[in-house]
Amino acid sequence: MKLRLRLGLVTLAVALPLVAAFLWVHFYAQERASVDVIASFTLSQMQAGEREHCEATPERWMGRRRPPEGLGRRPPPREDFDAPPGDLPPPPDDPDIAGPGPGRGVPPWERPGGPPPPRWRLGGLRPGGRFEPRLGGPFEPPPGGFFDPPPGGPRGGLPGGPPPRAPELYAYDAALVSRNPEAPPLDDALRAAMQEGRQMALRRFEEGGHRVQDILLRMPWKDGPCAFVLARRVDPPGPPGFGRGGPGLSAPPLRIWLVPTGVVLMAMLIALGPVVQRLRRLGAEVRAAARVDYRHAITVEGHDEIADLARAFADAGQEIRAQIAAREQREQALRSFLENTTHDVMIPLTVLKGHLASLDKQAARGEPVASATVTAAMQEAHYMASLIHNLAAAARLEAGAPELAMAPVALGDLVGRAVSRHLPIARQKQVSLEAAVPEEPVRVQGDVTLIEQAVSNVIYNAIRYNNPGGHVAVILEALEHGTRFRLRVLDDGPGIPENERARLIERRFRGNQARTRDPGGHGLGLNIAYHVTQLHGFELVLAPSDFGGLQVDFLGPMQG
Amino acid sequence: MPKATRTADHILLIEDDRQLGAQVVAHLREAGFEVSWWTEGKLLDEDTVPDLGLLILDLMLPGTYGMDILKRLRAFSDIPVLILSARNDTFDKVRALKLGADDYMTKPFWPEELVERVRARLRRPRLQREGVMAVGPLHIDPETREVRMAGQPLELTRVEFDLLIALARRPGAAVTRQWLVEHVLDPEREGTERTLDVHVSRLRRKLGPGKYIETVWGIGYRLNPDAES
Repeated sequence: MKLRLRLGLVTLAVALPLVAAFLWVHFYAQERASVDVIASFTLSQMQAGEREHCEATPERWMGRRRPPEGLGRRPPPREDFDAPPGDLPPPPDDPDIAGPGPGRGVPPWERPGGPPPPRWRLGGLRPGGRFEPRLGGPFEPPPGGFFDPPPGGPRGGLPGGPPPRAPELYAYDAALVSRNPEAPPLDDALRAAMQEGRQMALRRFEEGGHRVQDILLRMPWKDGPCAFVLARRVDPPGPPGFGRGGPGLSAPPLRIWLVPTGVVLMAMLIALGPVVQRLRRLGAEVRAAARVDYRHAITVEGHDEIADLARAFADAGQEIRAQIAAREQREQALRSFLENTTHDVMIPLTVLKGHLASLDKQAARGEPVASATVTAAMQEAHYMASLIHNLAAAARLEAGAPELAMAPVALGDLVGRAVSRHLPIARQKQVSLEAAVPEEPVRVQGDVTLIEQAVSNVIYNAIRYNNPGGHVAVILEALEHGTRFRLRVLDDGPGIPENERARLIERRFRGNQARTRDPGGHGLGLNIAYHVTQLHGFELVLAPSDFGGLQVDFLGPMQG
Repeated sequence: MPKATRTADHILLIEDDRQLGAQVVAHLREAGFEVSWWTEGKLLDEDTVPDLGLLILDLMLPGTYGMDILKRLRAFSDIPVLILSARNDTFDKVRALKLGADDYMTKPFWPEELVERVRARLRRPRLQREGVMAVGPLHIDPETREVRMAGQPLELTRVEFDLLIALARRPGAAVTRQWLVEHVLDPEREGTERTLDVHVSRLRRKLGPGKYIETVWGIGYRLNPDAES
């Protein structure tokens, strides 16, 4: 869903219940207030002389609007309206039990020793919604009227004469029996409420499409035919479904709730405009960058969440670029490895083919096979195997930080393997190759393939560049109470001049000189050995040996 | 633990490459071993293993993968296993060693090299044996400190006996002069490599003709079990 649409809907979803709740509270307060006003109005009328009218003609009295008739009527006999004891208790003195509702309470004149009942003057709703009776003149409805008829229809149920603002009044005696034949019958709920001693009871119902609201009031006097007065108001059917709107209640004007809602909605949508614009721009940029392997930068503007998002995209793009670069570097390393390997292996392979061809010729001619040719062929094959291992190691080392597969390595076994690998070649070259390893295993932490390749290279060099009848010795020792090892490869060959030793080690792998087989140099193998020891935190020390040749020491910590 | 006495010279080769397998088998037979050859991976069971002295196992096999064979084998047997690996991959080696392989060889290798490794492996259990050591015609009893040469008792000094037993503990393995000076010579007397050489030449004389004790260039000495007398 679009951001704007979503925000608009969310705003409405929040605003509508709020407005509904606000209206409900509004109508509820209005209704309570109107009930209070009717009650107060009725009470004040009764106290202002209607009581006498009522008691004079209880069978016809219906409030002030009816022309007083039969003024001389006697009030009904006392026993008529004397409630049986317990059946209709007197109104409680305790003001706290007075009926519910805002602004309601027992007026001071009802309290024992209170002031005389006041005359009503204009009453009105204070901002707090409480109806405050004020002392003074007779009751008049407030301006703006609680009894305003709802627009759209005349007030029904109030035949002729009286202004529609006033309710119909019916009087009942203490036993809740009316002398007036027109008085509506009281139902059990109203009776029960009065018998409980409440000051006021309310009922609502619909009759012939009209909404009727009855308020039964207990008069301050407890006897006579007018001990209770029912104030009835009849309203035409109001606009349906508008809250709990009671009769004659008006909804608050639209400008109070619709306008702010609309304003908030508009403000949100307008505020969202730039946000949506920026998001769209960011989306377009990211899409554009993705098309070119994230080589385009993402613009970061501002310091808000969208800027954070842009930054996250920029970082992700950078990460992807780095990964692509690393992958390309690896691929490049692999390609150059393949190219170099092909090239480097072709040369000894060609030589090997040459040797095999001459052996073939010798065999075809029935001549004895020349042992020297066989030896040379074997050495070429051995050189090739060693070269391929070295190229693989170099490819790993060249690719930046190689992933070392660190694991415990038994150096004694490793020396055994390296020596036995070169022993057949050493024999052919008539070079003695011997190794000594301690009885106790010497373990280091490292990458077994790389360490073995390094050691193998040094041994192979010692054999290759030795003279017939020469010696190579490989000695593994644990030093310093088994905390460090020393792996020494000794030979009595020509050795390497001092100025060349450093050069051999520091030379980069790249470049063809490193791979060419110069008979006097030690080439790639020694270089790989150096880098492997560096990676493992070992030391590689080249020195002239006591026997005239070269002495190569691998030194490093043993595994605890 | 192996159930029965194993035939030390019986080797099982599991290798799917025909040429390489045939070559290996030929060289091992030439070296005096009895060789069985499987060309595809199958799990070994407890009935086959007791006859074996050593297993040579290729990792990349049709059928059951080499690592699985090794893993299964180690559940019930500790015969030496030599791995042949075509890939020079550290991870494979480390894994094989962790699974209980004793050694590995990376292809390509010389047949001689393989025979050498097999011999070295098969020699080991014999070395761990306690009691009287027999190296060629030499019989050495570490407990009674008696030495017999072809049945004849020899009178050796303490240093000479310790020197001999140090070499005999690992026949064929070179022992450095440095180690012998530190572990054999009397620490109270300032022993040097020259002192050691004197003791060695005395011992050689007592052992009689035959180069039992060999000088190893650049290293030290070694007891050669195959020396001719």
